Amino acid sequence: MNSDNPRPPARIAGHPITHILVSFPIAFFSGALATDIAYAQTADMIWADFSAWLLAAAMFTGGLAALAGIVDVIANRRVRARRSVWPLAIGSLLVLILGLFDNLVHSRDAWTSIVPVGLALSAAIVIIVLITAWLGFSTVTVDRPDAAEAYSEGVRQ
Amino acid sequence: MRPVITNLMPRLALAGVAILALAGAGPADDFDVRTQIGPHPVLPEPQQYLFPPMRLAPIVGWKTGETPKVESGLRVQALATGLEHPRSVYTLPNGDILVVESRGPAIEPVRRPKNIVMGLVESFVTGAGQATGSNRITLLRDTHGSGTPDVRTVFIDHLFSPFGVALVGNDLYVADTDAILRFPYTTGETSITAPATVLTPLPGGPIDHHWTKSLVASEDGTKLYVGVGSNSNITENGMAAEIDRAAIWEVDRATGAHRIFASGLRNPNGLTWEPQSHALWTVVNERDELGPNLVPDYMTSVKDGGFYGWPYSYFGQHIDPRVVPQRPDLVAKAIVPDYALSSHVAPLGLVFDTLNGLPARYSGGAFVGEHGSWDRQILNGYKVVFIPFSGGMPNGMAEDVVTGFLDSDGHAHGRPVALALDKTGALLIADDVGNTVWRVSSATGAQAANTQ
Repeated sequence: MNSDNPRPPARIAGHPITHILVSFPIAFFSGALATDIAYAQTADMIWADFSAWLLAAAMFTGGLAALAGIVDVIANRRVRARRSVWPLAIGSLLVLILGLFDNLVHSRDAWTSIVPVGLALSAAIVIIVLITAWLGFSTVTVDRPDAAEAYSEGVRQ
Repeated sequence: MRPVITNLMPRLALAGVAILALAGAGPADDFDVRTQIGPHPVLPEPQQYLFPPMRLAPIVGWKTGETPKVESGLRVQALATGLEHPRSVYTLPNGDILVVESRGPAIEPVRRPKNIVMGLVESFVTGAGQATGSNRITLLRDTHGSGTPDVRTVFIDHLFSPFGVALVGNDLYVADTDAILRFPYTTGETSITAPATVLTPLPGGPIDHHWTKSLVASEDGTKLYVGVGSNSNITENGMAAEIDRAAIWEVDRATGAHRIFASGLRNPNGLTWEPQSHALWTVVNERDELGPNLVPDYMTSVKDGGFYGWPYSYFGQHIDPRVVPQRPDLVAKAIVPDYALSSHVAPLGLVFDTLNGLPARYSGGAFVGEHGSWDRQILNGYKVVFIPFSGGMPNGMAEDVVTGFLDSDGHAHGRPVALALDKTGALLIADDVGNTVWRVSSATGAQAANTQ
């Protein structure tokens, strides 16, 4: 493996746990947007229920990923030194702040738990997630052509 | 991929706490709740929250000798203590008093993360605990007319979240949360072991959000009227869960057949007959989470076929923004309730002073038991109030009659629930947190009794 690539300190048996954990909030937030849209179109509370659980799970797993990410940044100077960390950090922070609001809005009852503020927040979150991931990957590719591949191998180990 | 989250997390956590604190605290509430008592309550604009205003009264119970406070001319005593979550009281023709000890069915599933939080909140303030002896009816008898019962027996045991009781002839009806039961009763009995007959099943589970079923018989004894509360705050469990709920049912006593007598009543309790007009009256718990001063709970006469707004609107045509699809056709015919009691006081008991056992100023008026608020910063309710009546309608401002359920620190000694009159016309109050039944009598009458 490329020895210049900084290895995240937060890992279990060699697996970089931040990288694994972070896929959960991304998937949960995206799912919540889908179920928000379904509720807005049907007014069927089952979709609002799904949204509330997805958003709660997104915050829980997002919090775990954040903890792992903090360990990575604090424990490894080289991770911290990489310029591409900061767009990801700011994007992630925004996502978690909006996610907190989105959870609270979704704790209301019935229609206004989603329309319009909840739906707007869920959409904003997913847009920020996409932008953040886009910036993150593009920086990875420019900085280190082998980084994405190294990550994939890390997951397969 | 990279570490997506950084050491800004502690700052996020701080921000989160600050946001919660701000959202929860809100501005100082200088709203005068008395502007929401009467036929024309002031209704502010609805508000929606990230974190609804909430204040709970921690339970401290009653120490020996402690009692609620009563107005001058009245006297209060504990009729029975050490009960298990008494929710309602009923006086039999021979003067025996039935105390319905009841706990919620606790079958509401966790549908959303919010249910977990609200479950904790409710367990904190109901004081139901693990009352193993509850879900029964206890009989109290005062053989010597001393004002203190000397007989106390388990009258009916193994009920399912009972609340309403009504006796017609030798048929004793008990409203469990899921059925009206009929028991054979003979005057003077202190215990019924005969099996119950189901007269009419009622909407119980699943969910059973509002579970108390208030019960009253028509004055001619041919019908029963039963209050069936909604299965949600404001339809968040879906409209299918609300079928035949938020309504008062009329049940034919002979056949058990039922029809919807009136609807749009979110959680109707205290069903009783107004003595002058002979109209059916009820107290209703209105919806939460639109602000500390919305929506006022109320008492109202109930018209046959009347629709009172829930869930689509409140106090007539005030639309609730949380309900979709709306029903303009129903909103248009929503009846404005007769008398607002102010917001979140949670009225669960209603009785008219028909026996003249209390000072004359109360004659013919209504007593309302207010269980007390959780959905506002400043506690409201936690008392029994009196509303004078004239010509079959409320006529004047509500006044406090029994207070002191809260101490000066906002702790709850007890919480009043349902009310009744005993045979002498004294007011009985079920206190489900203080586990006591209180008897409020005329101070002069009590003195006379003591000197006998």
